[in-house]
Amino acid sequence: MANKNLSVWTSIPFWRRSAAWVTGFASILLIWLTFDTLGQITMGTDDDLKNGVTKRVPAATVINYKIGYEMSTKRGHEVPTIGEKEPFFGKEWSADDAADLLHLGKLTSQTKNCMNCHTLLGNGAYYAPDLTKAWIDPAWSKTGPMMAMTGKSTKEEAIAEFLQHPSTYPTHARMMPELGITADEAKGLVAFLKHMSSIDTNGFPRNFGKEEGSTNAH
Amino acid sequence: MIEPLTDVVPSFFAMLNQGPLTLTIALHTVIILPMFWIYRSEKKRLESQE
Repeated sequence: MANKNLSVWTSIPFWRRSAAWVTGFASILLIWLTFDTLGQITMGTDDDLKNGVTKRVPAATVINYKIGYEMSTKRGHEVPTIGEKEPFFGKEWSADDAADLLHLGKLTSQTKNCMNCHTLLGNGAYYAPDLTKAWIDPAWSKTGPMMAMTGKSTKEEAIAEFLQHPSTYPTHARMMPELGITADEAKGLVAFLKHMSSIDTNGFPRNFGKEEGSTNAH
Repeated sequence: MIEPLTDVVPSFFAMLNQGPLTLTIALHTVIILPMFWIYRSEKKRLESQE
């Protein structure tokens, strides 16, 4: 009976096998991608920074370097650049001290629930400005309005001052509330913000304000 | 034809990522091709049942 109308499309075993293959392959692919991502987001070391090895997430000691944000024609978006050394709160931080400071900043950002209003690395709210690249925000540059308002001479001191007394400085219609951030916590938060700005986020957020001297894509 | 790696950390997926869609097309091809084999083997099984 070779001329009987045979349809594979109505055969249940065909669909069962296809579904098993697609589900099985997708599961393996997801597990593979998870481990691939772990390699991509592993924090670099202090030696990487010294030897110029580029990592998506640089070591905590990146706070000792100047962070820029420049258009990469090769990758088609802006990438953070790690420049020459600059003092952070007036000194160079050792690997251990920098890691401790960064840890304090991370814990503070969680305790004070920054994400309730701000966005960090794509997570959080858009009620308040995106903090992913806050460190390289032109508003905090030498000629920016925020720095002048706090009357401090360095960017890190200006941000730390603002974080301790946000409602003293009229910045926005939706003003930041006083969160009881101490001087040490503020230092940690600034380190946390500076480190976050040095993370390669594939150009996110797009068209972020750039400091003078860097290339503007638009 | 093959573009040099643009990703920061080299990986197999970065190699496939030659531009928009290339990674998607590559992975879908890998998923779809064995389904032709599943189709043919099911057809053979159905015919042999006749």
